[in-house]
Amino acid sequence: MTTLLIVDDSPIARQILRKCLPNDDDFTVLEACDGRDAIEKFRQFRPAITFMDMTMPVMDGFAAIAEIRRMNPQAVIIAATADVQPKARKRIADLGALMLLPKPVSPGSIRDALSRARVALEGETQG
Amino acid sequence: MSDTRFSTTEKDILQELMNIGFGQAAADLAQVIGLSIELSIPDIQLFKVCELSRHMAEKMAGEQEFSLVEQYFLGKFQGIALLALPARSGKKLVSLFGLQDQCNWSSENLEMLEKEAMIEVGNILIGACVGKITELLNDVVLFSPPRMMIQDVRDSILPNHLFAPGSLAISLKTVFHFERKKITGQLFLIANQDSIAWLKTALNTFMEQYE
Ligand SMILES: [Mg+2]
Repeated sequence: MTTLLIVDDSPIARQILRKCLPNDDDFTVLEACDGRDAIEKFRQFRPAITFMDMTMPVMDGFAAIAEIRRMNPQAVIIAATADVQPKARKRIADLGALMLLPKPVSPGSIRDALSRARVALEGETQG
Repeated sequence: MSDTRFSTTEKDILQELMNIGFGQAAADLAQVIGLSIELSIPDIQLFKVCELSRHMAEKMAGEQEFSLVEQYFLGKFQGIALLALPARSGKKLVSLFGLQDQCNWSSENLEMLEKEAMIEVGNILIGACVGKITELLNDVVLFSPPRMMIQDVRDSILPNHLFAPGSLAISLKTVFHFERKKITGQLFLIANQDSIAWLKTALNTFMEQYE
């Protein structure tokens, strides 16, 4: 069982991401609607993988990734965002997110992102 | 008359599509001018065609003078895109296009250059944004050449051939900031009543793949 946290202010974006998850896997899926909510849920549930939107009210994804990585420097975070500008890509990488997943996500792109996340998680348990 | 009400879910889908479309547009523009845009959460609203100037004025309160670039998009999704930039931002944009070194421009030519820079920014942002949204909704649109609008925003009216007086229009709006340059702009995509009926079907079809 893998716990996932999906962070997005758009309920539609959360629904799309949820539906794109492979259904042959066993996931517990949590949702958060902004960066502050994400930090709270992360603290409480320690999800293995976090999908993070960038443009959100209250607290954006950049600030939330920074805070989550402070709490757990090994946290595996996938930035699922419409902001695909080079500057955003660089900021996301600098903050220690695993990768940027451009919106709209698809079953294929989610599958690839999850395999990369699993590799990262295995690296953690071995290292 | 077709049902033009929008459910919260339909608005949410449209908001997310605008988010994706504008994200793409910002990335395309960044490639040309090497400057990032700070994105914000799009705003979706229905309003009466005759209330455009009130709608625009409300959305653009606070700023004194705007320059507007307009471009029509024609497909099943059809209407007008308006890019509003502070009137004095032309000079900054000229420098972003790397044209600032050409100091032998007369002031008249410089004004033209500023106009061209704004039109080009509009062309890139509108084309990419509308292009992405309609691609995701399986529509193909044609664009008119972009041009500067001369009249004051507060006096602007929607063209009769696309927007029947008394009909409804839908506005997809995003506010954005250019990093370092202190330019705040707004992009409005305003689609007509025929588009609203088509949009409702297209949005639901779009979501069917995720149900
Ligand atoms: Mg968002």
